[in-house]
Amino acid sequence: MTAETIIQSLASGLLMGLLYGLIAVGLALIFGLMDVVNFAHGEFLMIAMYATFFLFAFFAIDPLLSAPLVAAALFVFGAVVYLLIVRFAVRAKANAGMVQIFSTFGLAIVMRGLAQYFFTPDYRSVTHSWLGGKTVSVAGIFLPVPQLVGALVAIAAFGALYLFINRTDFGRALEATREDAGAVALVGIDKNKVFALGWGLGAALVGLSGAIMAIFFYIYPDVGASFALIAYVTVALGGFGSVFGAFAGGIIVGLVEATTALLLPPSLKAVGIYAVYLLVVFIRPRGLFGSM
Amino acid sequence: MNITRRNVLLGATAAAALGPIAARAQTSEVVIGVIYPFSGASAQMGVDAQKSFETALDIINKNHDFDLPLAKGEGLPGLGGARIRLVFADHQADPQKGRAETERLITQEKVCAVIGTYQSAVAVTVSQICERYQIPFISADNSSPSLHRRGLKFYFRAAPHDEMFSAAMFNFFDAMKKKGAKIDTLSLFHEDTIFGTDSANTQLKLAADRGYKIATDIKYRSNSPSLSAEVQQLKTANADVLMPSSYTTDGILLVKTMAELGYKPNAIVAQDAGFSEKALYDAVGDKLEGVISRGSFSLDLAAKRPMVGKINAMFKEKSGKDFNDLTSRQFMGLLVMADAINRAKSTDGEKIREALVATDIPGEQTIMPWKRVKFDEMGQNNDADPVLLQYIGGKFVTIFPPQAAIAEAVWPMK
Repeated sequence: MTAETIIQSLASGLLMGLLYGLIAVGLALIFGLMDVVNFAHGEFLMIAMYATFFLFAFFAIDPLLSAPLVAAALFVFGAVVYLLIVRFAVRAKANAGMVQIFSTFGLAIVMRGLAQYFFTPDYRSVTHSWLGGKTVSVAGIFLPVPQLVGALVAIAAFGALYLFINRTDFGRALEATREDAGAVALVGIDKNKVFALGWGLGAALVGLSGAIMAIFFYIYPDVGASFALIAYVTVALGGFGSVFGAFAGGIIVGLVEATTALLLPPSLKAVGIYAVYLLVVFIRPRGLFGSM
Repeated sequence: MNITRRNVLLGATAAAALGPIAARAQTSEVVIGVIYPFSGASAQMGVDAQKSFETALDIINKNHDFDLPLAKGEGLPGLGGARIRLVFADHQADPQKGRAETERLITQEKVCAVIGTYQSAVAVTVSQICERYQIPFISADNSSPSLHRRGLKFYFRAAPHDEMFSAAMFNFFDAMKKKGAKIDTLSLFHEDTIFGTDSANTQLKLAADRGYKIATDIKYRSNSPSLSAEVQQLKTANADVLMPSSYTTDGILLVKTMAELGYKPNAIVAQDAGFSEKALYDAVGDKLEGVISRGSFSLDLAAKRPMVGKINAMFKEKSGKDFNDLTSRQFMGLLVMADAINRAKSTDGEKIREALVATDIPGEQTIMPWKRVKFDEMGQNNDADPVLLQYIGGKFVTIFPPQAAIAEAVWPMK
């Protein structure tokens, strides 16, 4: 194993990890806001990828340009999902936890089925994007441009989200609702609006991830499943409800995955992720940056 | 004997066959179960397979002037002109769902035979259930050698398995070396289910027997979100030939990641699966000029056997695609099974099994480059000669073995 191999693996792991983080941040945001796990998170990613693909296939819009459009569309979609489904699920008197789980889980299955029905199970791919297939090489280390841009977008999106939550009125309302949804109603903040905004934001972030991923990944109805699983681990590892934790968790997962693949047979690389996760849960059950 | 729907049907068929008037009036049908992934990551395989089986069904149930079993005339003459009806079941690439669905096909849909399954891992459980109920199973497109070695009596495979395919690859390497090509080291890259594992084991053994050095042998997790670590190791090993055994999704990601990490192997010789799929070439075909894949089908054959082109056109009308290695094997799977049922003159599992054992279809009566279809005592057809195809200028041309080749191999790839 040469130093070059090690640095290359770590660099690839870091780039992938930032993307995992971006996918997970939306999940963490929604959970932090209202203690609901969105089991359709992977399917949100899937429709974002399809949206990017169709904008490319029919209107020749490069994924880099369509990313803001897709994020905006997913914002609306996320808010609508909250208003039409989740709002009612959280009101359930009996078995509230189960109702919440099955409402988003059911949504995931419906979305997957609809995607297979309308888009067929064929594997799609954005073939000729501006960034696709380009690579920069620094001292023998290859950094794929799509992942590099994805990493920069992830850092920028995380920074913007951080400023939004900490510096704007809406962000403060978000934080306050998170702290005590009952009390904010007393000061005239519409809880439903804030929750819808939270769902919209969470979906927009995963939409952004999907648009970037469409450049270098293949697209099919089940594509969300493997990424969603990693996102759940990332959120739990980083700390439930912590947006920063999700981001840091993503980087850790990416690096652990790359390191495991270096040291063990690559077919076992997921084992490393779950081993670290179990270790964290064992030592610090609330996750690395969790505050609850 | 229990009175079941199948036996009643059998009785009706036998009675119908006795009298010419009754025979004309009877509308009995033969039900065959077809089990494929119709949802999940491999759903496209199931969708394509369905079109292929429907094409074969058309050939059997309607009158066509092809030199294929059951093409002329309608239905199965041995069963009074009975039509075949297919029942499709979805195993979702999951061996346990395959087990449950096969049981449902046999006990509830009353199928008299089963065909499947794309994934070898699923074929393992499906064939076990068929064995238990004594229902013949044709493994249309599974290529794992271990499948036919389990001593099952109701298991049959008309197509080649990975040892035959891999042997063809090594014969090709030997031939290329004689011509002066440098082929000393090989990198294996295979997925972690039975297909990839069996394929790699075979290739490891063949490499050892014939004096090729394995530079690296990478077993990876199928449907991984990222293959950069794996590709990095392939790049470091930098063997003369890269030999992937991957399904479509992994194949696409492999080729994309290779381009991103600046890895261009001298040659790629693939174990079919994803590398025979149109979706893979749609996605990354521009990076695959010169890739070689094994196969048991080539459209080139249409030049020698015009019916191949005509049947391909029938399939293309349904699916929008040309036959590939998988769909052609599926097509033949149903024809072979229907031919056996016709000769068995019965829908009884044991009788169909006996007819399958007696099968002997000459290669010219198939759409494949096979010598013939004849099963050995394990249910394997050893006369199903594989070919190697090279992707040149957006299509596949046959380059090996010499008697089937229509072009010289381009070596190295570019």
